[in-house]
Amino acid sequence: MTAPLLEVKDLHTQFFTDSGVVQAVNGISFDLREGESLGIVGESGCGKSVTALSIMGLVPEPGRVTRGEIRFRGEDLLRMPHEAVREIRGRDIAMIFQDPLSSLNPVLKNGFQIEEAMLAHRHLSRRQTGVRAVELLKTVRVPAPAERAKDYPHQLSGGMRQRTMIAMGLANEPAILIADEPTTALDVTVQAQILELLRDLNQEMNTAIIMITHNLGVVAGLCSRVIVMYAGQIVEEGPVDEIFDRPKHPYTWALLRSVPRVDAVQHERLRSIEGLPPDLISPPAGCRFHPRCPFRIDRCFRVEPPLEDMSPGHRAACWVTMDRAYAEMGAGELLDVRPGAASGVYDVGDGHVG
Amino acid sequence: MATQPLTASVELIAAPLAREQVGLWTDAWRRLRRNRLALLASVYLTLLILVALVAIVHTPYSTSHQGVAPTYAPPNGAHLLGADASGRDILSRLMVGAQISLIVGLTTQAIVLAVGVPLGLMAGYFRGWLDTALSFVINVFYGIPDILVAMILIVILGKPGLEKIIIAIAATRWMDMARLTRGQTLSLREREFVEASRASGARARKILFGHLLPNALGPIIVQVTLGIPAAILFEAFLSFLGIGVPPPTPSWGSMAADGIHSMRIAPHIVLAPAIALSLTLMAFNFLGDGLRDALDPRQKR
Repeated sequence: MTAPLLEVKDLHTQFFTDSGVVQAVNGISFDLREGESLGIVGESGCGKSVTALSIMGLVPEPGRVTRGEIRFRGEDLLRMPHEAVREIRGRDIAMIFQDPLSSLNPVLKNGFQIEEAMLAHRHLSRRQTGVRAVELLKTVRVPAPAERAKDYPHQLSGGMRQRTMIAMGLANEPAILIADEPTTALDVTVQAQILELLRDLNQEMNTAIIMITHNLGVVAGLCSRVIVMYAGQIVEEGPVDEIFDRPKHPYTWALLRSVPRVDAVQHERLRSIEGLPPDLISPPAGCRFHPRCPFRIDRCFRVEPPLEDMSPGHRAACWVTMDRAYAEMGAGELLDVRPGAASGVYDVGDGHVG
Repeated sequence: MATQPLTASVELIAAPLAREQVGLWTDAWRRLRRNRLALLASVYLTLLILVALVAIVHTPYSTSHQGVAPTYAPPNGAHLLGADASGRDILSRLMVGAQISLIVGLTTQAIVLAVGVPLGLMAGYFRGWLDTALSFVINVFYGIPDILVAMILIVILGKPGLEKIIIAIAATRWMDMARLTRGQTLSLREREFVEASRASGARARKILFGHLLPNALGPIIVQVTLGIPAAILFEAFLSFLGIGVPPPTPSWGSMAADGIHSMRIAPHIVLAPAIALSLTLMAFNFLGDGLRDALDPRQKR
């Protein structure tokens, strides 16, 4: 088996604010293989975007990566000189952002911005970059690419802008494309088109994709593997199908239940996860999800569960796991469990653990 | 007048479609043209520049030769604006004075741009010690009165001359530009397109001059247009005090100073440069205001 393209090991990213140290990312590890598409999901503030920015070396002030390794093709990006990391940014690892309008420079023409992305890494003539920019716009299926290249960002629709951003990201044929909520600002039909485009690019150009999103539907449609983050930690990781069918962590389970489904049984209620993600300056002791977890046991309050293998390629960090919840309660009873509710919490007694 | 309503309706239909296609600058230019005062100011300034250019090759009379006209001669056919106490032709001197004013105004602003913009961009983008140091120096410069800074510099630089005046004026003006550019950069650096260009691996220099500067250009242009009259006025003021452009080179300020003693018997000697100065300052200010309105995206209808 070949070495992974990207290895993140025990990554800690902290923000040193006036009110305390925010542990935005707290010891996460994962791999990304060549040409793979990996989803990172979680609520706002769970650390998924900070993970992406840490990989790019773009953690904003007052944040800093305080521990860990980010190995790209075996070399640790965190211990490389700034100039070497800058060379990798955009050339080997590119990133696209949530809001395509504010991510494009309003006073520069679209084509010019794609050309700039190329010129940051290669010495090409303006003629060459001009031709290539139009080609790229064609690759991302922008109609009339030559004309659109001469337009300013505000003259394009949201979908076309995101395509332009993707074209910028692809300008140097990167090995990894990190997409941070690339479809959130777009309407649903355009979302589907952009996802289809990303899926095709992933398959045709063999670009590995890290899709950062809070939308599980996006992950289901694009990714083969998914990481679920909660409060700066990975709570579950595994193949998409397995996680969607048989989630091990109560948070993943709750997250899946909060997705509206067209095919849902009429009377089935949409269950939100009540409560808020924890304060990352002083996170709760034990399992970070325990204040909102309906299946918590005594140990959850005290001891942090490690990320353990559930089955090959499937890891979860939970003392109880959904397997036990299913075994003890049955599907019907589980339907009525409301995650995060202060009252009526179903506590699985610690004594049951064999 | 059957055609009147027809053309109007065609314009109404065409206007929204056309607006979609124009770029930022075309749009600004369009709005500037609608501003009568700014347009009038541009016409006046164009004429002034022409006069200054003509003065390089030709003036009606020598500007330094005394006695080309009777002393204190009022405006007449041979000397359209009369003559001063030494019998020099005022129109000729006014033309060369326009040259001096424009040179001072434009070159000081060129220096101010060259110094203030890069400093402001770097301080605003990199923050840290550079920003602290720049803000400190700016505050020190603001703390000392302009006239004191200028006088000290003129003394230090020695023998008076036009280039020293320009350096002295630029030394009192660069802070405005540096502060403006810094402020613009501070807010622009938080915009996502800066992060996006960083993510594409752009070098800091490219981000500063390729991404941030073009976005800050509107306010900078306005600042330059308003900085020119300030510099012109300051030069006239220094020359009026006698520490400006050395005689016999005519400056509007020194001409006014020459005329001040004979204001009762020959008011035209002081009025001619004073009016020329006022019109020029007003024109630059109106143009600056017009540009501010034209370049402000919030004004967009």
